[in-house]
Amino acid sequence: MTLGYCLALAFGLFVIGAYGAMTRKNIVGILISIELMLNAANINFVAFAHFHATDSTSGPIFSAFVIAIAACEMAVALAIVVSMFRRHKNLDIDKLRELHG
Amino acid sequence: MIADIGFYIVAFAMLVSAIWAVTAKNILHSALALIGSFFGTAILYLMLSAEFIAVAQVLVYIGGVVIFVIFIILLTSRLGDKAEIAPAMRKILAFALCSAMLGTFLHALDRAGYLVNTKTATAASDFASMRNIGLRFLDPGANGFLVPFEIISLLLLITVIGAIVIARKEGE
Repeated sequence: MTLGYCLALAFGLFVIGAYGAMTRKNIVGILISIELMLNAANINFVAFAHFHATDSTSGPIFSAFVIAIAACEMAVALAIVVSMFRRHKNLDIDKLRELHG
Repeated sequence: MIADIGFYIVAFAMLVSAIWAVTAKNILHSALALIGSFFGTAILYLMLSAEFIAVAQVLVYIGGVVIFVIFIILLTSRLGDKAEIAPAMRKILAFALCSAMLGTFLHALDRAGYLVNTKTATAASDFASMRNIGLRFLDPGANGFLVPFEIISLLLLITVIGAIVIARKEGE
C-alpha cells in the first residue's frame, strides 16, 4: 500500500462518480454520484497526510470539514428534491426546465 | 504484505460497489451500493490510521446521508416506475470523457513517479488520533482551526433552517 495506489484508487472513484453525474437522469442519482466524488477527494486528503506531510494532523481535519459540508449540501439538496417532486411529480432532469432560459 | 492484500481487496470492493452505484437501474439499489463504497472507505481510513475520520465516515455518511437518501427515494418514487434510461449517445460520450480523464490522471501520477516509488515513509501513527485532532480543532493559535470549526457549526444551523424552509408545504 503506497501513496500512488491510494491516489489511483481515489482517481478511479472520482471518475466513476463523474460518469454517474453525467449519465443519470434522476436527480437523486446525480446526488449519489456527487457524494462518491466528494468521498474520493477525502481519500486523497487522508492518504497524503498519512504518507508524507510535515503537518499530518491537518489532513484529516480537512477531511472532517469536507464530511460536514457534504452532509449540509445533501440536506439542502434533498429538501430541494422534495419540493420539486411536490411541484412537478417527476424528477427527470430532462423534463425539469424551469431554470432553462 | 497482509496490509497490501487487504488494501487490494478493499479497493476492489470499493470500485465494484461504486460502479454498481452509478449503473444500477433501480435508484434504491444504487443507494445500497453507496453504503458498500462508504464502508470500504472507512476501512481504508483505518488502514491509514485515521480512526476519527473512519468513525465520522460511518456515522455521518452511512448513518446519516445514505439513510436520508433512502428516505427521499421512498418518498419520491412511485412503485412500478419505469427504470430511467439515459440516451445511448450520452452514455458513450460520458464514458469516453471519463476514460480520457482517468488516463490523464494516471499519466500524471506516473510522470510524478508515484506509481514506481515503493518507499512507504509514513507519518507518526497517532497523527490522526482523537486527542491530536481535538487539540488542533480547538486551538485558537495560528495553527489551530477554531474559527472554521465554529463557522461549521453555524453552517449546520443555517442548513437545518434552510432545509426546513425549502421543504415545507407552500401556504403553511
